[in-house]
Amino acid sequence: MGGVRMVPRLAACGLALAALILIVGGVVFDRIAAAKDVPGSGAWWLYPFLLAAVLAPAVVGVLIAVQRPANPIGWILVLGALSLAAVLGAQPYAWAALEAHPGSLSGGSWAALVSSLWPVFFAWPLAIAFVFPDGRLPSRRWRPYALFAAFSITLLVILLVLSARLESPFEDVANPIPARWPDAVGFLRGPVWLAVFASLFVGVAAARSRYRSSEGIERLQMLWLAWAALLIPLGVVCFLAWGFVLGKPGDTVLAVMLATQAAVALAVGVAVTRYRLYDIDRLINRTLVYSAVTASLGLLFAAVSLLAGVVVGHGSTWVAAFAAVLATCAFGPLRRRAQAAVDWRFDRPRYDGLQRVRAFVDDVREGRGEPEGVGAVLAAALRDPSAELLFRLPASEAYADAVSGVVGDPPVDGRAVTQVEHRGREIALLLHAPALLDRPDLLRSVLTEASLAIEIARLRVEVRIQLAEVEESRSRVVQAGYEERRRLERDLHDGAQQRLVTLGIVLRRLQLSLPREAQILKPALNSAVDEVGHAIEDLRTIAAGVRPPRLDEGLAAALADLARAAPVPVEFEATHERLPPQVEAAAYFVACEAVTNAVKHASPSRVRIEAEVVDGALRLVVVDDGIGGATVAGGTGLIGLTDRVEAQGGTLLVYSPPGVGTRLEAEIPCGS
Amino acid sequence: MRIVIAEDTVLLREGLAGLLEDAGHEVVARVGDAEALLVVVAEHEPDLAVVDVRMPPDYDHEGMRAAADIRRDYPQTAVLVLSQHVETRYALELVATGGGFGYLLKERVLDVDDFLDAARRVCDGGSALDPEVVATLLAPQSHEDALRELTPREHEVLALMAEGRTNAAIAKRLWLTERTVETHVRSILGKLGLPTSGDDHRRVLAVLTYLRASPA
Repeated sequence: MGGVRMVPRLAACGLALAALILIVGGVVFDRIAAAKDVPGSGAWWLYPFLLAAVLAPAVVGVLIAVQRPANPIGWILVLGALSLAAVLGAQPYAWAALEAHPGSLSGGSWAALVSSLWPVFFAWPLAIAFVFPDGRLPSRRWRPYALFAAFSITLLVILLVLSARLESPFEDVANPIPARWPDAVGFLRGPVWLAVFASLFVGVAAARSRYRSSEGIERLQMLWLAWAALLIPLGVVCFLAWGFVLGKPGDTVLAVMLATQAAVALAVGVAVTRYRLYDIDRLINRTLVYSAVTASLGLLFAAVSLLAGVVVGHGSTWVAAFAAVLATCAFGPLRRRAQAAVDWRFDRPRYDGLQRVRAFVDDVREGRGEPEGVGAVLAAALRDPSAELLFRLPASEAYADAVSGVVGDPPVDGRAVTQVEHRGREIALLLHAPALLDRPDLLRSVLTEASLAIEIARLRVEVRIQLAEVEESRSRVVQAGYEERRRLERDLHDGAQQRLVTLGIVLRRLQLSLPREAQILKPALNSAVDEVGHAIEDLRTIAAGVRPPRLDEGLAAALADLARAAPVPVEFEATHERLPPQVEAAAYFVACEAVTNAVKHASPSRVRIEAEVVDGALRLVVVDDGIGGATVAGGTGLIGLTDRVEAQGGTLLVYSPPGVGTRLEAEIPCGS
Repeated sequence: MRIVIAEDTVLLREGLAGLLEDAGHEVVARVGDAEALLVVVAEHEPDLAVVDVRMPPDYDHEGMRAAADIRRDYPQTAVLVLSQHVETRYALELVATGGGFGYLLKERVLDVDDFLDAARRVCDGGSALDPEVVATLLAPQSHEDALRELTPREHEVLALMAEGRTNAAIAKRLWLTERTVETHVRSILGKLGLPTSGDDHRRVLAVLTYLRASPA
């Protein structure tokens, strides 16, 4: 079994080694040719490209072939490397043999022939396009197309081998093969080239068809290949651009083509082994966008230079500067346009998602939408109904949703969790379907686009929760205040007052038991007892101010005492229904302070108090016929009343037109 | 009179006992809570129980409830409840259900003669209601209140009546003759639409029932 596995390993390594030897040999012979100043040789900077173009497919091919010998991808790569090495290595050898040292090296014309077979550069990428990534054609339907491609390339190679003239730069070298096509089939050359180009498009179509039906891992793998394929038209663009600028392509085009070959091999390697290595969707997207932007800017620059050149005259530095400024200004809008166009064409979910989020952000900005709706918008933009947004509350390190407030642990429920950040801080968690993890670019760009809206919503939710907490705490404080008053009142009545009564009794008994000869002390003791009595009365008044004990008997009883004790006539009508103690207490103190206020500031001739239960709330109205003009902000104690009422979740309204009197309306919910 | 005292503050309890003993009454038991009070009342069947309204364990009207129990189970024992502050709810209920009950603020004790008079009145099957409580009852509630039709003097007489005082006591208080007081009383009862009756106690009950009917 080990032997069975060894054979493919050795074969792959052997082929790769052969490719390596060929290309290294090519470099060596190039140095030899350069020593004799042969034109077209000796470009140092080209060597890394040569080595990369061979090494990349060789190494990747060996790795794949060793791991998965049954998958032809590895073998295609290794053979591709070998063919590249042969063609690339043959040219310097031909130069060395034919020009540098004619006669001392044999087979120069054979090497020139091999060097002429450069269209094999297309062969291995084309094969990859048909069978990537599982080594089989996308479907049986593609079989004739694959055969057509193989046939056309083979035919081209045969045509080249049997042609009378070799390819550039060996047009003058005689073909060492004696056999020739009859001149009659010379016209085939053109159509065969066309067929090869057609096969390239068919290969692209095959890969595209595979991508369409792919999902999950295969989809990511295909995307890697697509990215590499994208580099080929880029290479062509460079080819044309250099031809336009310099008049001839030169070695640069070769370098670009070699780099493309290396990139395709590397992309295949990554796709097969490490398809999650990098966010490929994003890479492709960016490549497309920046290629489009670069091309457009180049065109813009050229067009402006041309037009301005016609107007101002050629060679003016102003023209170049003007064109450069224009291109710089156009960069931002152009990039946005290109991004939208690329998304629209190549990534409709991302385009639609971003559009939806942008529309929402605009709505929020224009006041047409609530920021809290961002969760639902994200779910729609990501096409994931299970998506749920939880806002982070940094103070409590907890999370909250927009509706029901703080949630304990995020209810993951089998969903994936993605952190949302804004300016480097975590602001929310998105729970979403795990399938979205295959589209990290979609997720990230939609979340980035929505992050400001999310942050605004988060702040609003945070404020709302804090407000609820503050309201609750205010209610507790007021409640504690009532309880404290009650305790104080008890202490006064049961403590100090009891002691005073005891003291009074002791004095009284002392007075009654005075012997005849001490009767002179009687009046003094009498007035002492009277003083004790006054002290007790004072104490009771104070205690009643702290909290009238008759609140225990209900609001009506307490209001009756209030009315009786007031210095102006107070009429009242109060419900006899018993309400929660804190509601009764709040209403009593509001009425009490309202009456005190009126007496102190408004000099009314009478005051009227009404307290009735309407729709589950106590409605307290205090009306006086005084001078009016009271305001909540006026420091008349009304703000304290507002606090009291709002602490119970109620509302307080004050109508106080000058000269008419003051009407104060409080509504306190009775349910609790 | 044979008296039991229920009061949780020891010094006050002893002071009260001393006061009553000085006046020639016999204090047969002194206790500190309502439960013990019921035990000693059952044991001694006294003429009068002087009871603090708030006592252990909860300081919440235990005295008042014990008073109601005593009035129900031991009709021969009158009850005088002493309170730290005015409240009408239980007091009115107890006074209005019959005689033999009194409700006074604690400091009334300092007016010894008046206090002993109230104790005596209660023992005789009469009633004693604190002037403060009466004042809350006599505060007119609305325009239609019949109390508004009383003259100031009639108001004074009504208040003393409601406290449980006899015509003679009222006359003495207001420096009037008994005949004048009787005239006022007839006028008051007429204005309030109450039946005239010679019996002081029943007259008080009628007045209190009337006042209780009007919400306070």
